[in-house]
Amino acid sequence: MTTFTKITTASMIALGLGAAASADELTLYTALEEEEIAAYIEAAQKAMPDTEINVLRLSTGKLGARILAEAGNPQADVIWGWAVSAMMDPQILEMLEPYEAKGVDVLPAKFRADDGKWFAPIGYMGAFCVNTARLEEKGLPMPKSWKDLENPAFKDEILMPDPNSSGTGYLHVNAVLQSMGEEAGWAQLEAIDPNMAQYTSSGSKPCKSARVGEYTVGVSVALTAMQSISEGYPLAMVFPEGGVGYELEASGLMASSDNKDAAKAFLDWTMSDEAIGLYQQYKSLITIPGVDASEAAEKAGLPADISTVLADIDFVEAAQNQTAVKATWKEKLGR
Amino acid sequence: MSTTEQAVAPSRKQFDSDRLLTLACVGLPLLGLVLFFLYPMLIVFLRSVTVDDGYGLGNYTQVLGSVGFWRATWHSLVMGGATTLLSVFLGFIIAHGLYRCAFPGKWIIRAVIVLPLLAPSLVQALGLIFLLGRNGVISRALGVEIEIYGFWGLLIANTLYALPQAVMIIGAALVLLDARIYEAADVMGASPARQFRDLTLPAARFGILNAAFVCFTITITDFGNAAVIGGDYSVLATEIYSQVVGQRNFNMGAVVGIMLLLPTVISYAIERQAMKRQRSGQATGQVPFRPHFAPLRDTLMASLALLICAGIVAVIGIVVYASFVTLWPYNMALSTKHYDITLAGGYSSLRMTIVISVMAATGGTLAVFLLGLGLRRLPGTVAQPIQLLAAMPAAVPGMVLGLAYILTFNSTATPLYLLYGTATLIAIINFYHYHTQSFLTLMTGFRQLPQALEEAAGSLGAGLRRTATDIVAPFIAPMLVSVFFFLFMRSMVTLSAVVFLTTPDLSVAAVTIMRLDDAGLTSQAAAFSTCVMAVVCAALLGMKATLALIGRRNRTKGTA
Repeated sequence: MTTFTKITTASMIALGLGAAASADELTLYTALEEEEIAAYIEAAQKAMPDTEINVLRLSTGKLGARILAEAGNPQADVIWGWAVSAMMDPQILEMLEPYEAKGVDVLPAKFRADDGKWFAPIGYMGAFCVNTARLEEKGLPMPKSWKDLENPAFKDEILMPDPNSSGTGYLHVNAVLQSMGEEAGWAQLEAIDPNMAQYTSSGSKPCKSARVGEYTVGVSVALTAMQSISEGYPLAMVFPEGGVGYELEASGLMASSDNKDAAKAFLDWTMSDEAIGLYQQYKSLITIPGVDASEAAEKAGLPADISTVLADIDFVEAAQNQTAVKATWKEKLGR
Repeated sequence: MSTTEQAVAPSRKQFDSDRLLTLACVGLPLLGLVLFFLYPMLIVFLRSVTVDDGYGLGNYTQVLGSVGFWRATWHSLVMGGATTLLSVFLGFIIAHGLYRCAFPGKWIIRAVIVLPLLAPSLVQALGLIFLLGRNGVISRALGVEIEIYGFWGLLIANTLYALPQAVMIIGAALVLLDARIYEAADVMGASPARQFRDLTLPAARFGILNAAFVCFTITITDFGNAAVIGGDYSVLATEIYSQVVGQRNFNMGAVVGIMLLLPTVISYAIERQAMKRQRSGQATGQVPFRPHFAPLRDTLMASLALLICAGIVAVIGIVVYASFVTLWPYNMALSTKHYDITLAGGYSSLRMTIVISVMAATGGTLAVFLLGLGLRRLPGTVAQPIQLLAAMPAAVPGMVLGLAYILTFNSTATPLYLLYGTATLIAIINFYHYHTQSFLTLMTGFRQLPQALEEAAGSLGAGLRRTATDIVAPFIAPMLVSVFFFLFMRSMVTLSAVVFLTTPDLSVAAVTIMRLDDAGLTSQAAAFSTCVMAVVCAALLGMKATLALIGRRNRTKGTA
């Protein structure tokens, strides 16, 4: 048998299987975390018993590449829980259709699009991951702000994601620039640069390297920090004074969806009381007014009133300046 | 037509059916290369020249004008060169030890040397950091902090990955050398050193050059090692990642992807030039070489090979060990808790991955065999461009190939759309991603095949089909087996190309590992990797045992 007969036969089989499974299917593309996805989908599936919900999970950057590559013939019905700064890319917005999900009107205006293309009831935040064992061993002071990282004692002890390859990297750079102002912000980033051991391509890697004691400070995401702390790593989660960057996890309806009823039903579900109840178990950042974050998050060192540690972020401006800021970063700090 | 063609044409009818078969042999794999490599790359090329208002070279001038690009290019070339030198040198030592020396325990070396091929990329990265990182076992034992991140770490990681492929290809050149030439040299009083210089090295030249080409190409396209241990040593593959994944700028990523083809084409051209004067094929009636024990040479070779193997075992072994540790490196109590994996689809992807890998390995081995067989019967002017095409896929980073497949096959414009989202397409991309290595290993083997053997078969009336199954296939069998195993192992663990092709219901083991690691569960990812390695080892042993059984049965049949 030649390869080609084989390929044809196999694809026929695969095709047959595919055709048999399509009753009422809904395909979600998401960058949410594995654990929460499992819980949300279990509940959503119960609420929508006639629809088979399929989920593809990829990290923020890879999901973006996938969606853009598929732009000619999009496969997803809904983009669910994806970084809003990525969502606001004009190439992506073009693929979305405005939809006002039920209950979305409780969200403050800055957490949803004016034209209704996306809304974000949840989000995640950045944090410094500080390895306390290594901190002690090296006799370093606990850093409390970006300024503290200027201390020459931290030379080659800090990791941070590169904003040109990581959304988390841009989250931090943007927060520093927006909270300190352009000029002071760039000066701050340049002052830390000599201490920076590496700019990584992944947003969670600085925390993962810090927790196993390769470096002392990883500028990274709070979720990885909280998880590492609960696993028992000697790690402290620090929110820099003056405000830490955060990112909204936005959802939107794909204009190309051929199952819009189910897609809309799912988007409605993400704003339902049931969904909000689950957010309180898993999310550190909930943008719905009057809804507190999870207890677990509090245990890991998150303040009860989270707004006290968040930087004041303008997401529209952040999205608009993105290209220019990344280019400037590359010019000033790129290695 | 070549002289072979005329020699195997005793009758008109035979001649025609042979020509038809030759055409089919070359045609089918060539069609595959065109559809599944050339066509997707053409789409990438189109993206690279797409600018706002149509087509143009704007993207190229922008890339060529940036400082970062030239720095990354320089780094890539230096890293490619250094890795190639080191891998080919060490690879030659090991292949020479395996096939030209006599010492016990070669099976250990054979088994260990393929480990980096069947280890998921995460394992190698973690292993190096656990051993040599700033808080690694060796650093702590010596009480110094080794700075592994950067050039040296990347060189070690790349060499670990390139070495097995160098051994495979150089081995294909050394395994089939004729013992009689060495006997003659002995009789004439040529010293072992002289024999090595004048017999072994020239015979291995084709393999060495092919291995160098492969090592160089896979090094400059590798992203995984650079991201994990390269530190700030930026290379071209990280440039592509930052353009495509970081900035969602496909067209610029496509430009860098296309630029990566250039050094490959150039190095292939240099290699061909260097090969021109090489005679091809051996005399007939070969006597397999059986090395005799030479104390100095063999102890030296064996200890060098074993030393390299010890390094490989340490890197992979420490990750297997760490997967049983409660909290590396802070709580070293042993536990199996990381093996209780429920997230990211749990163990369900394992079986599908095995099916896909067997598909890729079977179809792929057959395709490169037919291509190699057919190319021997084509005139050089036709064969040369096909050879270049067949050697090119390694020059394409997995991520670029994966995105090219989406752009190409997720379009309802052609019936190829039927493949999108199927396991078959994943098997196909795995094969074409590793096409170069498979093809060059077989070509190195074919090079040792005596032309006279085929001619004799032809003059006795055997057609191409008969010659292929009764003469060529048995002769080339060791290479077929190693190509099959190579494709199988890589398909089990390769990530970069496949990550963009999985669907909600179709995931593979490598993607599960990535998802576990993304979720922060590095120890679970290591545990899952250990399971994958165990499954691959078991599958390989099973296949080896089956092959040995078949071989034995055939032999007894032959003597009966």
